[in-house]
Amino acid sequence: MINIKDIRKTYMKTSVETNVLRGVTFSVQRGEYVAIMGASGSGKSTLMNIIGCLDKPTNGQFELDNINVLQLDDDALSALRNKKFGFVFQQFFLLERTSSIDNVLLPLIYTDKYPADATQRARKLLDDVGLKDRTEYHANELSGGQQQRVAIARSLINDPDIILADEPTGNLDSENAAEIVEIFSRLHKEGRTIIVVTHDRTVAEHAQRILELKDGQLKG
Amino acid sequence: MKISKNITLSCKLLTVHKLRTALCISSMTIGVAAVIVMVSMGRGAQKHVLDMIRDMGTNLIVVNAGHVTLVGGRETQSAIVTSLQITDADAIKSQCASVVDAAPETSSKMSVQWESENLKTEIVGVAPSAFRIRNIEIEKGRAFDEVDNDTAQRVAIIGEVIVEKIFHGETPIGYLIRIGGALFEVVGVMKAKGIDANGVDRDDRILIPLNTAMHRLIRTTFIQRIHIQVTDSTQLKSAETEIRELLRDRHRLRDKPDDFTIQNQATLIETERESSRVLTLLVASVAAISLLVGGIGILAVMLTVGRERRQEIGLRRAIGARRRDIRTQFLLESLIIAGLGGFFGAFLGMLSTFLASKIGNLPAVQSWDAMGAGLTLSFIIGLIFGIYPASKAATLEPIEALRAE
Repeated sequence: MINIKDIRKTYMKTSVETNVLRGVTFSVQRGEYVAIMGASGSGKSTLMNIIGCLDKPTNGQFELDNINVLQLDDDALSALRNKKFGFVFQQFFLLERTSSIDNVLLPLIYTDKYPADATQRARKLLDDVGLKDRTEYHANELSGGQQQRVAIARSLINDPDIILADEPTGNLDSENAAEIVEIFSRLHKEGRTIIVVTHDRTVAEHAQRILELKDGQLKG
Repeated sequence: MKISKNITLSCKLLTVHKLRTALCISSMTIGVAAVIVMVSMGRGAQKHVLDMIRDMGTNLIVVNAGHVTLVGGRETQSAIVTSLQITDADAIKSQCASVVDAAPETSSKMSVQWESENLKTEIVGVAPSAFRIRNIEIEKGRAFDEVDNDTAQRVAIIGEVIVEKIFHGETPIGYLIRIGGALFEVVGVMKAKGIDANGVDRDDRILIPLNTAMHRLIRTTFIQRIHIQVTDSTQLKSAETEIRELLRDRHRLRDKPDDFTIQNQATLIETERESSRVLTLLVASVAAISLLVGGIGILAVMLTVGRERRQEIGLRRAIGARRRDIRTQFLLESLIIAGLGGFFGAFLGMLSTFLASKIGNLPAVQSWDAMGAGLTLSFIIGLIFGIYPASKAATLEPIEALRAE
């Protein structure tokens, strides 16, 4: 479903060229659970942003379900992110002073049609991640692990094909991290495609396949 | 995207920084209220002046002897001119078709005495027709009539101020007072009229019959002015021309300039209306500047908000918001601030105008159009000053936004 070929990314910083990605080629099949590993500065976040259509490569090809993503305009990319991807970030990025359920519902305001059963769906998703009794809590009243679980519920509200998680356990203690990893494994069993970027091997080991990035290139 | 969802969302976000939002709204409120109050006060002042002009009488033309010039915005009569006669008034009344009535008048400042009290006031000798022509009403007692005038009776009708100053509020009907040494009987008290358009207190004077004034008190053969009433306001212009020609002819002026000045009420009203319209506009513009300041407040706040909420913008972009969704959201927020400010301002403005006119007794006219304009203006300002921060937020790249601290 994801086909990436010879992706390169070059940043110009004060007239010095930095090659963050130097020709990355790989593909991900539907239903796969892939972990992208690498030290900081290896380019894994940049690769993640490119896969999530948040950033564009300087060179290369990127097909998603046979769509040439690199030719789409900004609005089309927004629509694509809305439908195809569910994002989970290291910093959770929940709206403060907004209830869990409203946070989960947020992606729906950018869909063409606001589903009639939206609230039930959001409740079900929060229930699935074990936050049944926290639906009306504001983000700032929840623990880090709970916040990340709300973020996962949010990533699922649009029933996306791919879950993209960028260091999802980076801000959590090991106990909470284990819970999050467990949720990903369950989602994988339910048939979702999952791509996790992490520098934590214990997290990566739950994936079927590990891609290791070093100096902007895949190892092996 | 659902616009209703977005409005509720924007409202929620605005409550996050309550103080900042409240300050921003209040600056708009003050601006809108200022515009409304200023326009209302301007209109009130205008109405006040026009009322005073109308108070002079209806469909009025005033002929003054000599030249009337404006000194410091007030009418001042030039040195004594002796050419205007009672017979001129009679001629105007009998020869000009559109003239209903004419009341000749002469006046002089003289001392008035009662027991140990004494003061100087304007003694005005008028024909009895003046009461009707000039809307002079009698509060107590009676007016004088043609018989009093023809027989040059020493009767006086006094103004409120004189009642206060000499009689200390006592009703002085039947009392004898000395005007310039001669004894007069007080037969009536005028209803208070207040200050006229020229700043003259119309209650600080005493009316006596014209003939009494001319033959027994001031002893002149000429008069100072004639108040003329015409049939209706459309006749004012033509009557003015007719009167001018008649007087020039009677005074044998040929190619000499007029030795009198004619003022007609319509021109007077027009001039007043124009000058106060300009004043109202000027004051309202000054008030509108405060609205502009409110707008700049919105600009500053929305720019700060845009910077503070970069991560949120990034997240929204990641989960599918298009640039235009972000722009709409920010624009909505500034419109909500401006709109709320506008509504509060409209309310505050109308309320203060109401209080000013009802309790403060100031001349203020409730101006619904100014309220409408203030409201519209607040929305326009919200839009104008919201566009830049909104566009700035919308053009932010998603990854840059997410990376922001």
